[in-house]
Amino acid sequence: MNLITLKNKNAEEVATLLGIKERNLLVEKFAALGLPNKKTEEYHYFDVEKLLDVDYKTLNYVPKSIEEGDKVEIVDGVVTKAPKGMRVYSEPCETIDMDHFDALYYLGHLLSPHIIRIEVDGDCHVEILHKYTQSETLINYRIVISNQANRHTTMYENFEAEDIHDTLVLYGYDMHIAQDSTLRMVRLQTMNDNKYSMITSHKVNVAKNANVLLKNFDFGGDQALQVLKVELGERAHVDAGHLLYLNDDSKRGTASQIIHRGEHSTSKQEAKNILDGQARGIFDALIRVEHSAKFTKAEQNSKSILLHEKSYMASKPQLEIYIDELEASHGSTTGQLDEKQLFYLQSRGISYIEARKILVIAFANTLIEQVKDSRHQDRIKAAFEEVFYVANKG
Amino acid sequence: MSTVMKIENLEAKIGDKKILKGLNLELEAGKVHAIMGPNGAGKSTLSKTIVGHYDVEVLGGDITYKGKSIVDMDAEERALEGIFLSFQHPVEIPGVNNAYFLRTALNAKRKHEGKEALNAAEFLRLMKSHLEMLGMKSDMISRSLNEGFSGGEKKRNEILQMLILEPEVIILDEIDSGLDIDALRAVSEGINKMKDGKRTFLVITHYSRILDYIEPDYIHVLKDGKVIKTAGPELVAQLEEHGYDAIEEE
Ligand SMILES: Nc1ncnc2c1ncn2[C@@H]1O[C@H](COP(=O)(O)OP(=O)(O)OP(=O)(O)O)[C@@H](O)[C@H]1O
Ligand SMILES: [Mg+2]
Repeated sequence: MNLITLKNKNAEEVATLLGIKERNLLVEKFAALGLPNKKTEEYHYFDVEKLLDVDYKTLNYVPKSIEEGDKVEIVDGVVTKAPKGMRVYSEPCETIDMDHFDALYYLGHLLSPHIIRIEVDGDCHVEILHKYTQSETLINYRIVISNQANRHTTMYENFEAEDIHDTLVLYGYDMHIAQDSTLRMVRLQTMNDNKYSMITSHKVNVAKNANVLLKNFDFGGDQALQVLKVELGERAHVDAGHLLYLNDDSKRGTASQIIHRGEHSTSKQEAKNILDGQARGIFDALIRVEHSAKFTKAEQNSKSILLHEKSYMASKPQLEIYIDELEASHGSTTGQLDEKQLFYLQSRGISYIEARKILVIAFANTLIEQVKDSRHQDRIKAAFEEVFYVANKG
Repeated sequence: MSTVMKIENLEAKIGDKKILKGLNLELEAGKVHAIMGPNGAGKSTLSKTIVGHYDVEVLGGDITYKGKSIVDMDAEERALEGIFLSFQHPVEIPGVNNAYFLRTALNAKRKHEGKEALNAAEFLRLMKSHLEMLGMKSDMISRSLNEGFSGGEKKRNEILQMLILEPEVIILDEIDSGLDIDALRAVSEGINKMKDGKRTFLVITHYSRILDYIEPDYIHVLKDGKVIKTAGPELVAQLEEHGYDAIEEE
């Protein structure tokens, strides 16, 4: 299938091309937004058309019997393992956001009428491992995660790929974070050769008094964009952020909208970007405070270090505010490593290359250290140092 | 006398401003040299020039260390060869663990000298032994390098680095400013501990008090980018009484 055939098509044509009869509302939403292209705000810095305009193989997503394992394992979009007692199953999706800004959110749902539903129960740590084994393939799946009120869950998301190439992965979450609960999602991507590109399109509903933490540690190669929409209820809180370390000609990042609907809701969004080679980092992030969201606090910040004259950061933090009663701040800085700090280290006999490593790792660590579990924190630190050291031999 | 460092007709600028204007200074090995001089005279610029700071452009003259010119050497090389500057304003580096930094620096030096690296445990023992003497809290081991350190803590941390790296030419740029009495005593004790008759000190200061503790052999007066007078320690009292304006260029 070549997704570019969906370009400039009306709802009827889209339905025919996708072989869909019912689910008309989704088709209409998709057709109205149109297949993303360079002019689409959230894809502006990302070569989306190049990724869509490929004749991909497609897969049949037949649910398998799920083996017991220590984590949720999803192989090419199909769940193969899950921890004992955890409810993981396939079902038609019932709660789709009918006001998402991302066409690929709808396309994802259209292509995956059955979603993978994960019900997290109680206070727990869950790992989700995504595995990909197919080359030149469109791998498409959607996941719905829901938890329970008053519960606190941490999820770690990891990725593995066999020796594949030119695959496009489209997946995403619909998350329903229950009242008074906490959900932390820590995602780590370290793949550093051109095995697959990825566009993930998420929707996160955060109910009253709930907390969600979404941290993306992306040290990957090639292209990946995470598209994120978060809606905050009364006194709900989101802490979203990414750490990018990109090299060569990779293009990766985040395009997001955080929407404050409830009073006293708070958001914090922090991006740290380390770019080398001809890489391009993306942080296109809107925080919108609606009329209903009085006494909101919103904080948004992006810091970038460019290690190469050809590297580039597209950083666009934006605030859209419809009320007066709020506290909001946003900022964006881009620069090289601090000369004074570099010199201080060198004046103690540390080589330029080593000093640079120390400073880059320090910059990264301030975000990595927000992962409170020390085993996972160490794992992410090690992953970062590994990719960084490989790229900075000497 | 044996000269460890010789500065001849040194001219240097920062930005468009010429600051060192034909400066001459000879450092005798194993001695304590104090440099005094009015604000803006070029004292910090001199120390930066000696360690190869990127701000400074050398326009003329030479600095030789152990008989070799160092003006074209990288800062890290100068450090590895044994030149150390305690900064007037040490920079804060968030996210870099103090102990990790110091061990990296020490092991770089040990490698340069063909010695084996110290492991974390060995290094920690060494660091702790110095911390106590300097009256530094043990959380200085795990804190980020200079981040949120008080003025006095930063200066003590510079002395800690000196004690660990054991350099041969030690430049202390206003190590005494902003220190309380106890800190001044601890810092001076650290400096005196390094005096072994071979190491050479260049102590930049505005106050005679630190000189009571560390007993200089020579006093140099730096004014308007030049050393205008060199004398014995008796000059300190004269400067205190009459100020720099009373000094005639020799
Ligand atoms: N980075 C810089 N840019 C421009 N001018 C500078 C810079 N650094 C130093 N200068 C100027 O050079 C002159 C000498 O400065 P320097 O710091 O060497 O003086 P100093 O003798 O150490 O003074 P103090 O006793 O106040 O520490 C001053 O006029 C100062 O303003
Ligand atoms: Mg000075």
